[in-house]
Amino acid sequence: MFKNILIPTDGSNLSLVAIQKGVTLAKSLRAKIIGVCVVPEHKYYLYQTDINVQEKEETAKHFENEAGRSLAVIEKAAKDSGVPCETLCEIGGHPYETIIKVAEQKGCDLIMMASHGRRGLKGLLIGSETQKVLTHSRIPVLVHR
Amino acid sequence: MFKHILLPTDGSEISFTTIKAGIRFAKSIGAKVTGLCVMPLQFTFFVEMEIPKQALEQASKRCKEVAETYLVAIEKEAEKTGVECNCVYETNDCPYEAIIQIAEQKCCDIIMMASHGRSGVGALLTGSETQKVLTHSKIPVLVYR
Repeated sequence: MFKNILIPTDGSNLSLVAIQKGVTLAKSLRAKIIGVCVVPEHKYYLYQTDINVQEKEETAKHFENEAGRSLAVIEKAAKDSGVPCETLCEIGGHPYETIIKVAEQKGCDLIMMASHGRRGLKGLLIGSETQKVLTHSRIPVLVHR
Repeated sequence: MFKHILLPTDGSEISFTTIKAGIRFAKSIGAKVTGLCVMPLQFTFFVEMEIPKQALEQASKRCKEVAETYLVAIEKEAEKTGVECNCVYETNDCPYEAIIQIAEQKCCDIIMMASHGRSGVGALLTGSETQKVLTHSKIPVLVYR
């Protein structure tokens, strides 16, 4: 039924669980996986700061490396289970916007994500990015616990 | 991966669309489904009002009859698709509580429900019962659109 599953990751432990479950689900559905990690845009983390260009570049590189590591986890999990997989590192201001945009561009029919991500349970019963994806997505969302 | 899908319904058209999708999903992963309809306990409607007992009984009987028609529709759909199906009727003033309770009792490993139900999109971007289930459920929730 679902043929193209989007799995966003922020590299947190909870998203690791969602990745594992997502791969298992994809296997049983003979579906394909698209892993995505959203890296913040320069202007968001360096807004009006006096950081020189070199440092900006270093920070951007650092984020990309981190994203690469998170995505490698998805690739490995998919490979181990023999599930076709594609990964993307996207730059965006609001992760949820980018997640939905990628899902639509890639023709995904399900988004699978953890109930909480990097920020954990602090003050929220359901993770904030997950909540925003749920609110704005026109594609079904599977919220994993 | 998922073996038992809980499909709650409020009888709305969108919830039936979700049920049909849920049954197809069950078929594609070899799972069984449990249909659930939760109706309110009548007396809270009439708190401190002098409604004759007979009328209350009639109302609760009517509720049950209506729920039966929703549940029969689920059973028929499951039979048509060739998916094992059981149905449960519950009364509870907080539908989300009953949904989570039945999911646990019946050992469901996923709850699949529409992003909106009977109350529609009115004031909320995600349906209120769906939101409450998402907040309180310890098992994965698939929010269908």
